[in-house]
Parts: sequence; C-alpha cells; structure tokens
Amino acid sequence: MREVNAVVLENKRIAENVFSLTVSTDDEIPIRPGQFAMLGAGEHVLRRPIAVCKAEGERVTFCYQVKGAGTRYLSQNYRAGERIPVLLPLGNGFFVGERETRIAVVGGGVGVFPLISLIRACAGRKEIFSYMGFRNKAALCMEYEMQRSDKLTIATDDGSAGFHGTAVQAFMQDIEEIRPDAVFSCGPVPMLRALKNAVAGRGIPVYVSLEERMGCGVGACLVCVCDLTDGRHARVCKDGPVFEIGEVEL
Amino acid sequence: MADLSVTLCGVTLKNPVIPASGTFGFGREFDEIYDISCLGGVATKGLTLEPRRGNPVPRIAERSGVILNAVGLQNPGVESFLEHDLAWLKGKTRVLANVAGRTVEEYGRICALLDGKADFIELNISCPNVKSGGMAFGIRPESILEVTRAAKSALKRTPLIVKLSPNVESIPRNAAAAEEGGADCISLVNTFTGMAIDIEKRRPILANNTGGVSGAGIKPIAVRMVYEAAHAVSIPVIGMGGIACAEDAVEFLMAGASAVQVGTANFTDTLACPKIIAGLNEWCDRHGVARVSELVGTLRLN
Repeated sequence: MREVNAVVLENKRIAENVFSLTVSTDDEIPIRPGQFAMLGAGEHVLRRPIAVCKAEGERVTFCYQVKGAGTRYLSQNYRAGERIPVLLPLGNGFFVGERETRIAVVGGGVGVFPLISLIRACAGRKEIFSYMGFRNKAALCMEYEMQRSDKLTIATDDGSAGFHGTAVQAFMQDIEEIRPDAVFSCGPVPMLRALKNAVAGRGIPVYVSLEERMGCGVGACLVCVCDLTDGRHARVCKDGPVFEIGEVEL
Repeated sequence: MADLSVTLCGVTLKNPVIPASGTFGFGREFDEIYDISCLGGVATKGLTLEPRRGNPVPRIAERSGVILNAVGLQNPGVESFLEHDLAWLKGKTRVLANVAGRTVEEYGRICALLDGKADFIELNISCPNVKSGGMAFGIRPESILEVTRAAKSALKRTPLIVKLSPNVESIPRNAAAAEEGGADCISLVNTFTGMAIDIEKRRPILANNTGGVSGAGIKPIAVRMVYEAAHAVSIPVIGMGGIACAEDAVEFLMAGASAVQVGTANFTDTLACPKIIAGLNEWCDRHGVARVSELVGTLRLN
C-alpha cells in the first residue's frame, strides 16, 4: 500500500447521486479486483473508503454514492487537475481459484462497482454470469462495463429496467442452468443475507465484500470489525473486505 | 540538522514523536507504508490480561475537526503481545506498552509480565469506552494514587507512565496523585467523552452511545491541560491531543511536554508522524534551535 498524491482526471455524475472519480497515480500500482482506497476529503478528519472500480495502468477509477458530508465533499471539491490524497491498494480483494471457471457475480446498488473490477479482471478468462440490481432505471450505470460478462442480467426493484425484482432473485432463476463454480457478491447486508439463505446447502463457495465505517483503513485501529461465525472479530479493512459467506455473521 | 533526541526517565528516544495508543496497533500495519524505526517510540494498543472483543460497531463517528471512537479495548491480550509482537517492535523503536486492567490487582499483574521487556509502561486509567476499569480509575486522585502504587510496585526495571483522563475535576491534582503514587512520567490527554447523534434515526451513531473525542478540535483544551499538569509535577510529561503537524507539536513542547503523541492524525494522513518529525527538524533549524529539548516548557505567560 502506498500514499499517493494523485491527480484528478475526471469527477462526474454517472447516475442519481452516484459519481465516478478517475485519478492518475504517478506510476502503475498493482491493484487486485475488490481492493479499495482511502480517499482524502479536505478538512474531514477521516478519509473515505471507496472501492476501486477500474484500474488501467496509472489511471484508477472509483465510483461512489453521495451519502454524507464526506462523499458530498468528494463530489463537489475535486475537479480535473487538482490533487487528492489516496492510500491504496487496501484489503484482500476477490480471489478466483484456478478451477473456478464459471463464476456468478451478484451485485446490488453501489456494491456493483467493486464487482466491475472483478468482471474486468476475469473477462475472457472465465465464464461470467452477472446479476446486477438497482433501485430503478435512474440508478443504473456502468452497464457497458458489466457487459464484459458472458451473460448480464440487470434487475430493478421497480421493474423500470430489466428483470423486475432483486439481483438475488434473478440469479436464483438461473442457478440450475448456469451451475457456477463460485459466486462473488457485494451489496447491502439484507441482499447478502438473502443470497446466503438462497444458496445454502448447494455447496457453492460464495465470497462477499463487506462495508463498514473505518478509521485508519490499514488494520491498525480495530474500528471496522465484523463478527465471524466462530465468535472472533475480523478487520473489514485488512482481513477483508472479502470474506467467504459462511465465515461471517450477516 | 537539529538534535531531535529526548531523554525520558533515563531512556533516550531518537525524537519526541510517538504514535498514540489505539491508533497504531503494534506498528506492523504502518510499517508496510513506511519504516517505523524513524519514530521516537510506539504506544501500543491497550493491553489487557485476557484477550478482549471490544464493542459492537459502529465504533467511529466524525464531526467537524474531531472523531469519536468506542473500540472498547479490543486486543489479543498481553501474553499474545509478548509472544508475537514485542520483540519485533523493540527491534524497530522504543515500546510504550499501554496497559489496561479491570482491577487494581490486574494492573499490577500485567505490569509484572511486561517489566524489563517494554521500554515504558503506559498505564491506561482513562479509557472512556469500557464499563469496568479504564476511566473508573482515572477520575479521582485517590484511585489514581492507588492504581499507580500497585503498578509501580510490580515494576522493578521499566519506567511507569500514567496516562491521565481529561474528563476530571482537576488535572493538577490528578497529575500530582500520579507522581505521589510513584509514576516516573505522565501522559495526557486521553479522549474527551462525547456523543454524536444521527438525527434521522434519533439515535447515537456509536453502538456504545458515547465515545472518546479526539482530533484537531480538542487541541487548545489539551494544550491548556498539559500546561497545568507540567506545572503541577516535577516528572516529565508526554503531551497529546489533536497534534497534526510540527507546529502543533512545538506548542505542546513549549507548554511543558518533553515528548508528544500523535493519534487521530494517523488516520487523516498515514505519513503524519514522519512528516511531523521532518517538520520539527525544519522548525528548529529555522529558529536556531540546536536541540529540540531546549523548547520544553519555554512558554512565558502574558
């Protein structure tokens, strides 16, 4: 991991309340799919943990939803040419095993963005079946990136685009047909819970990326812990954010 | 090139900058970003006799210029630290082992395990986020005296730092109580107890409801308290509370601190400590100060 004073190349709105921030680091930093960065937000004491959506050479793209004061700052204050403090890459990221050749990717809301980094890394090497859920058509974005999948199903809660229902429901309609070797997911906790219940007993490994309020982002402060099923705590920033679904309490 | 070294209780630190307990783990994670042997020392995460799980999440919240935390002393226990971390950390820099007990006896037992191994013991009698122990010992001068005596009697070789809470009636009285109990040094301030409310949910943000407030916003209060403490005792003082740059550190040195700790700033910028060290050197050079220790307690009141 490295501290970089990156240059903002672009910071634009791509959907309702969602922005895409592309920065240039001085040189290429190896980033695995599912890893994240801590982005400096001006006078805000804490940096904001944001997943890497795309990494192309020294260009790194983060997509984020404006949720509070910090992400609002990110959306309003970083214009092209300005510098932004970035600490990256952080966390374990997604790991796709050699023998996992057919993978399902199930995302909801802003959880789709770290999954895009996975789709980009696996495109052409794995058979990818993606199920991406949004609240409605206005929230839908980055579809062209998701289309690198071998099969893409867009789902919306209100049916305004694609499948009418959740990404998990869309995935479960197909599961017998696609028979994935592994499932990779990120999204709101209720969605992850639904996925856990839906695939229980099928013997398919499921990897989920979690979100938590963070302090340092590097594993030192023990602020962002999650409960493991064995009773221990794990650090979302350092031991995660990706966990095997049976390993964590959701 | 100024001489940044300072000597505390007979132990020399290469510079006066120490990451504060709870913000830096045992140093391993930050050592992946920069070589932590550049630091004056490291104050470890609070160590308890048994491993502790800590509080539920959310454990952190942010407000203007400050954060609130309620981690609740999650740590793997002192035995694990001794077995896995102490030797590595000592190979890097000075170790201030931060110790938190549930009872007076427990403080003594943890200190005995660390005696002669850590460079300093920092007695955490001021953690606001746990129900028993912690701050319970840090409020009244009589209990500070008692727990300091118990810790000191368990320590034959390692100097004892008592870390004071700011959530008290009188900083000078509590500082004097620590000195009377046998403390070789005091450090202050720990965090201020606070609350942040999610007004949409009408609930506190922190699962623990209250948490310790730290960061730049508390600095003027901390400077005043360090000044008061330094004038109440004749043992050295380590100052902290919102230090984010070299100029902040100079304020604390002038107020009477012989060294400083840096906590929350490590979250805003992981390179905060090395930047403060470099900045102290530049500040001293610019002001014709040959040794940083010359600045300690040089404040003149109006």
